[in-house]
Amino acid sequence: MTRSLTVLLAGTALVGLVATANAANNSAAPLKNGVSQVGITLTGDNGGSCVLSHSAAKAGPVTFSVTNKTATGITEIELQSDNRILGEKENLAPGLPTVSFTLTLGGGKYQIYCPGARQETVEFTVTGEAAAAPSGSTADIFATGTKGYAKYVNGVVDDMMTAVDRLKTDIDAGNLPQAQADYARARPFYERIESSVDGFVMPGFKATDNAGNLDYLIDMRASNLDQKVGWHGFHAIERDLFQNKQITDETKKLAAELQKNVKLLDQVTRSLNYKPEDLANGAAELLEEVQRTKINGEEESYSHYDLIDFAGNVEGAQQAFAFLEPGIKKIDPDLAKQINDRFAVVLKLLDGYRDSKAPGGFKVYTAEMKTSDGAKLGRSIQALQEPMSKVAEKVATASK
Amino acid sequence: MTRRTDTRRPHPAAQLSRRGLLVGAGLGTAGLAAAHATPAIPNDQDVVDLTRRYPFYGKAEQAGIRTPPQRYVFFMTFDLTTNERSGLQLLLARWSASIAQLMKGETIGQVEPQRANGVGFDTGEALNLGAASLTVTVGLGPKVFTTAYGLAAQTPLLFRELNTLPSDALKPAFTGGDLSLQACADDPQVAYHAIRDLARIAKDTGTASTRWAVMGFGRASAGKGQSTPRNLLGFKDGTRNIKDDADFDRFVWVKDGPSWTRHGTYQVVRKIKMDIENWDTDRVSDQNNVFGRHKVSGAPLTGKNEFDTPKFAQAGEDGKPVIPDHAHVRLAAHENNDGLKILRRSYNYTEGINEVGLLDAGLLFIAYQNDPAHFETLQAKLGSSDALNEYISHIGSAVFFAPPAPHVGSYIGEGLFV
Repeated sequence: MTRSLTVLLAGTALVGLVATANAANNSAAPLKNGVSQVGITLTGDNGGSCVLSHSAAKAGPVTFSVTNKTATGITEIELQSDNRILGEKENLAPGLPTVSFTLTLGGGKYQIYCPGARQETVEFTVTGEAAAAPSGSTADIFATGTKGYAKYVNGVVDDMMTAVDRLKTDIDAGNLPQAQADYARARPFYERIESSVDGFVMPGFKATDNAGNLDYLIDMRASNLDQKVGWHGFHAIERDLFQNKQITDETKKLAAELQKNVKLLDQVTRSLNYKPEDLANGAAELLEEVQRTKINGEEESYSHYDLIDFAGNVEGAQQAFAFLEPGIKKIDPDLAKQINDRFAVVLKLLDGYRDSKAPGGFKVYTAEMKTSDGAKLGRSIQALQEPMSKVAEKVATASK
Repeated sequence: MTRRTDTRRPHPAAQLSRRGLLVGAGLGTAGLAAAHATPAIPNDQDVVDLTRRYPFYGKAEQAGIRTPPQRYVFFMTFDLTTNERSGLQLLLARWSASIAQLMKGETIGQVEPQRANGVGFDTGEALNLGAASLTVTVGLGPKVFTTAYGLAAQTPLLFRELNTLPSDALKPAFTGGDLSLQACADDPQVAYHAIRDLARIAKDTGTASTRWAVMGFGRASAGKGQSTPRNLLGFKDGTRNIKDDADFDRFVWVKDGPSWTRHGTYQVVRKIKMDIENWDTDRVSDQNNVFGRHKVSGAPLTGKNEFDTPKFAQAGEDGKPVIPDHAHVRLAAHENNDGLKILRRSYNYTEGINEVGLLDAGLLFIAYQNDPAHFETLQAKLGSSDALNEYISHIGSAVFFAPPAPHVGSYIGEGLFV
């Protein structure tokens, strides 16, 4: 098979392509309208080959045109410099049309990375002037995004403090209906930012000690209790308000504790610094949260306000992604578009469950609704989870 | 680097047999084996070889249709979520490339990426399990051939939704789909892994979402060179299945219509629930009359051996037909249906215990034919008169077109996008 393929390739080869694995023409790539033209051909030869038409180009704009002829095990390629991704193409498969990307490259050594090829990295040289020090590099854009995200988190925690103050006032007054409504209104804030939970540990406590873990103290569900530390936070209050339907001294104590812990959270979040991949991993974790505890109705097992939390998680994920989006658009505009499209589908689906009269703005997630709509909701999140899971790797390897 | 280099090495337990002991006796002492009434050495295709591979690319039909049925199936249907023709092309091309990898027993990409923030391409649970005769067969459902993708003009000549048939008790949860994947293998984890990773590609590319799925744990149809297996009612299933090339040409492969459909075939899938507990307490004479065959030998009630031709006209001493009027074999037989035959490639399935405490099990019936009407003709008759209907119900249904195999460098259905 290898033999006949080699013959076939030679017959239809790009100009200058030598049909031997990875052996490119060493002369500089030809220019077309001032842009160097480099062909990259993927074949199944020799266990998967990534062949360049030219292994060198003059400094300046370079267009890479990628064709997957017969490589079933290679679906993406990247142009790298010092292990940083400068550009890439995904979704390559035999039979699909040639795709291309253009970058302006300064003189130096580059690598074409073809995961799945027998030889995964192919050297590429650009001759001429070294590139001017980049301004507004992708990494800078991401760094700006993390600062924006930190502000967003602080704003959410501020809103949470206000909402929790109101909930505590209702509980102190013994006003059950008002407390139930304000419980719903207080919920979405935490759900928007809960992915940063790793950082929500109070100073002086071990990471494994739930007594110092604000995520545990604020949002723990009955299903994951640590008997040593006891039950605190939103869901213990939820049980009193929606199952026992009684405000007791214990409820008031829980509300006071929650108010105190949310204030502590405010202090902790103000000191947090985020790396770009934290935002990406956080967005992915929020989507996991939707899948793991909202669609099955576990999060709000007494009030059934799961759709409020669902919307909160999605909003948080969308915000985190939005701060990365300008950089992702530079690296992989197709992925940015895909994620935005999938967010749009989820938000449109969620719109169908809005109820302006209900506290928190969403219908109650009943057992019947879970049975009839759970799979549909879950699938919309699955379609967002897969592309979102790719973002962290991209931002962590963005060019400096 | 996750490329596997050890897949050609035979697995220590590669040579397994359903009748392993008899194989041993047969190979060692032919004389002893000959003394047994049953053949000592099973047919070649009954021996499980976990290193066996089938080619994905080809010049005729897809693998997994004529291929002698493997032991396990994982079948899944999908809803298209892309509105773009290019999205459908992307999915079929990514699936094709990955299926080519999987059928070789290789991963579809990295399992453990080098970068800490990377996410694995391949989920990894089939590492080192071998190809295990994996075939993945792709089916295109009704939505593909619509104006939505500009493909209405390319519709296979006889493709359409199935008519409602007698005794249909279809549930939306097990019905329909825009695409189907039938993964068959001699190791269930290999079949499961294939579908799982292909479903991930559907989500990752934003082109399709999962719809319904059935895991089949035992083959209930024989191919050429295989002895006839049994369905969960304990009867041999598919004794008179299509096996010869002439019958494949006549009844299975599409010959007319758009040129891209040559060597294609229509895939009909039915999820058939069996009332196992009721069947198990039915007297054996009634069970035999329901099928028109003897339970153990598989022989028609008018014969002695499995492959004896049923004598439908033969009457007993009471003057009644020996094979009853409502017997399954009588209603389904080609002699009584103007010579009509369909290729069956079914699997027994179980989904545990149902909500009222009964065994939830049955037959994932998969048939291939060159006209969906052929299935309808037979099922219309069975659905209205088959004695078996007391113990089964058709709760799921879908119809797809299985395009021909792609050639190297192409993908399944590429000819559709002219």
